[in-house]
Amino acid sequence: MTWLRHPAVHRAAGVLLGAVFLYASLDKIAQPAEFARIIYHYQVIGPSARLGYVPANLFAVALPWTEAVAGVLLIAGVWRREAAAVVGVLLVAFLAAVGSALLRGIDIENCGCFTVDGAGRRAGLWLMLGDAALLAVSVFLAAAPTRREPARAETPEGALTLPVGRE
Amino acid sequence: MAIRWSRVASILAAGLVLGLAWNAWSGRGLALAGNAFVREGDAIEEVSVEDARARMDKGALFLDARPRDFYDMSHVPGALPLPEDDFDRAFAALEDRLRSHFDIVVYCSGYGCEASHIVARKLAAKRIRATVLHEGFPAWTDAGYPVKEGPQP
Repeated sequence: MTWLRHPAVHRAAGVLLGAVFLYASLDKIAQPAEFARIIYHYQVIGPSARLGYVPANLFAVALPWTEAVAGVLLIAGVWRREAAAVVGVLLVAFLAAVGSALLRGIDIENCGCFTVDGAGRRAGLWLMLGDAALLAVSVFLAAAPTRREPARAETPEGALTLPVGRE
Repeated sequence: MAIRWSRVASILAAGLVLGLAWNAWSGRGLALAGNAFVREGDAIEEVSVEDARARMDKGALFLDARPRDFYDMSHVPGALPLPEDDFDRAFAALEDRLRSHFDIVVYCSGYGCEASHIVARKLAAKRIRATVLHEGFPAWTDAGYPVKEGPQP
């Protein structure tokens, strides 16, 4: 699996992941109130009697731009590890939110992933699976080393010399 | 090649700052302390559960905007079912009664539920004024107010 360490693979994975997140941010940036309503539906960070409306609204305001910034950085290949880490944290939070909604029997017609008005994807197990795949890519980009390790010998496979001569 | 956490923090801070700036100056922003279920141009009023109770004693009509199954399990005594997901049919059956009432309170399942606002908006479009019960049915039960179980109003 040494090809996984090839810088070009990281670059391509970064562009792909970044494009997904940049695209995901656009509709939310254009319609923050619609996105806020979707966040309410999850009933995780409010609104509630204890939390009021501010946490959910603030999240609706800041999340799309965080997605956009991380997406642009991933596409540009600047701060790739860190941008991938941010995207990974967002995905973990999202998986937790969808999972908890499913467990509590809350039916969310539009997950708020790519579109915020009209019909979107329903929050369900398939969605979680797709996000887990994106999470795998982001963890890979955040943690995996690029470049072959120099210690990995340039020796072609099968050319290893057998330890002969030992009695 | 380890992750630099200062960069992670910078990305998150940039998202927050850009988001707040966009919210303040783009003209598309939302009031951070406001309820996003109340849309621009809505004339929807919200009423606290105590005030709703007082209105009930004065003869206010309550409408249950939740899906019919929820209504059938339990609802505010005297409330009529006007589920948001079956609005047109339910409205047709109730229209005469709704038009003869001047004090209507709509409720659904609380904070995360938008159905009561949607129903109030649809009623407003038909020139029927309705107030939304803030925090909905959970607030009603939490307050210890009476509940009617079963499908009949």
